[in-house]
Amino acid sequence: MRQNAEVVEDKTEKSEYVTLTIDGIEVKARKGTPLLEVARQIGVEIPTLCYYSFVSPYGSCRLCSVEITTKSGRNRIVTSCNYPAEDGLKVETKSEKVIMVRKGILELLLARCPKVVRVKNLAREYGITEPTLWVSDQDEDCILCGLCVRACKELIGVSAINFAMRGVKREITAPYHKFSDDCIGCGVCALVCPTGSRKIRQHTYATIAPLKGPKDENIGVNIDIFSAHSPDSLDGFVKAVIAAGLKSGLLDSVVLAKRKNSFAAEAVIIENSEDFLNCSLANSVRIKIVSTLMDAIAKGKRKIAFIGLPCQVRAARKIEQTLQKEIPDLEITSIGLFCLNSFNPKKLVEKINSLFKVDEKQIENISVKDGKFIIQAKSKEHSVALEKLDAAIENGCVYCNDFPAFFADLAIGTAGSEPGSVTVIVRTDKGKMLLEKANFTRDIAQKDDVVRLSDFKKNRAKEHTAPILKEIYAQRSRKGE
Amino acid sequence: MTNSQIDKIIAKYEGKSGVLIQLLLELQRELNWISPEAVKRINEKLGIPISEIYRVASFYTALSLEPRGKYLIRVCAGTACYIRGGLRVLDAAEKTIGIKAGETSSDLKFTLETVNCLGCCALGPVVEINGKYYGTVTPKRLEEIICRKRSEK
Repeated sequence: MRQNAEVVEDKTEKSEYVTLTIDGIEVKARKGTPLLEVARQIGVEIPTLCYYSFVSPYGSCRLCSVEITTKSGRNRIVTSCNYPAEDGLKVETKSEKVIMVRKGILELLLARCPKVVRVKNLAREYGITEPTLWVSDQDEDCILCGLCVRACKELIGVSAINFAMRGVKREITAPYHKFSDDCIGCGVCALVCPTGSRKIRQHTYATIAPLKGPKDENIGVNIDIFSAHSPDSLDGFVKAVIAAGLKSGLLDSVVLAKRKNSFAAEAVIIENSEDFLNCSLANSVRIKIVSTLMDAIAKGKRKIAFIGLPCQVRAARKIEQTLQKEIPDLEITSIGLFCLNSFNPKKLVEKINSLFKVDEKQIENISVKDGKFIIQAKSKEHSVALEKLDAAIENGCVYCNDFPAFFADLAIGTAGSEPGSVTVIVRTDKGKMLLEKANFTRDIAQKDDVVRLSDFKKNRAKEHTAPILKEIYAQRSRKGE
Repeated sequence: MTNSQIDKIIAKYEGKSGVLIQLLLELQRELNWISPEAVKRINEKLGIPISEIYRVASFYTALSLEPRGKYLIRVCAGTACYIRGGLRVLDAAEKTIGIKAGETSSDLKFTLETVNCLGCCALGPVVEINGKYYGTVTPKRLEEIICRKRSEK
């Protein structure tokens, strides 16, 4: 522990510094920094359950309670995770009053979650070995701290889960207790959860049983990889395969995102191969498609093809794994489209507006080629390097490491093939059977191209998740936990 | 209520922030419940995540995620009404309508709820029907009121 330490948060911004004391140590810190951060940076430990620096503080577990005395002499207990540093503050983190308050909080937490190891360990540290209060549910494992809710909203930007109801009925759930339409199966909720709660896994796709078969690190489980000749590129090949599946009776319907115009798409169920051939696939925007898949199942469809991005394929796979217990004959054949990232339609339109001064309605076509984003508007072609559009990427995409749709039955994309061909990764027997119904000429795929892009996406995810993981592991290995 | 009517209400709130509760209250007033369709439209038009709308709608008792009947009957089961026989009044209502507290009759005519205080304990047992308060209610009187409402068109 250093004496008279200085905590400097951000040097680039012109900011005001304040002086406060924590457990008798005088500290200089930027005004407004949470007390908890200031304390941790000078080595004063404060226990927490619901705090990480990468999401906004919420103050719900209340374990980080400390005693403060303000300049004017007012003394009270506050949560240090969301109390801003102010001048002349005296903070006590281990005073008698603080220990008493923390003990009370731990008694409550232990009565709510008597079986959660982390809560038990923390309680034991404060001398509580058995629940002293009435336990309403022995198996309760959620302390309603909302870390998962904040991570889902602030990091990933999807808000798939949230609080619902109130009072004793308050809980974390996906809307309507149904499979979430927004969850992308990133698993961040399960990762940040301080108690390892089962609840967040119920209607989300945080955990999925892996596919079986020979595995390649960058390509995933696969039994075959090849390049298929297809004059109409990606759309054409997918259409040929699915239409053949529908005709032969191997499939009874297909759920996909149908393109409405350049940026908008709608999720549809198609049962007839002719209707299917007439629509065009949307493959660069992520739209709500899971509820449409559930509609198809509710309608009695049992042999469903599902075309989607890797994150949506994860959802479809999880739904199949979960529902097969109740509906044994349900088969979802997932066609995953290679995906580096998807664009947020709203942000993309704004970006294109500012770059090319083109109105959304004038755009005739968009495409991606050789690292360039190309749009056609008013019979003119505009192009821009993909990196320039980074700001329009959906928030969560930078944390995703799934380029070649690891959980699909068939993964398809243009990477690794010449123009006029598409690369196909066959991952399961279900996928292989579907391919057998279609006619196409095979060629050897440039596996390296797929590996390179998969690698790029993995590294990008690693780069973005590293600081988050570091903090989570540091938290888990804290003394006494 | 059709989608265009829902859209019309939502349109009034477009481009403003912090309007979710006001919007939901208006939808509840017009629609008598917050339908999944309405939730979906709000999400599409205002960009508020569905989970956020569900959180707010499930939190407030003024908002209902299930269709409510034409008449919302709230029987007070607060302390004062309770000791004056509030539960007997509730029993009568349950028997007459044929539903339990918290349920809605299949013809969408009645929704029965209990409430913990309506703020006029001196008049207990109190029953509130669509905003109108009935004091010193007896099981028989509530039965009559319900029958009258039922025969109304």
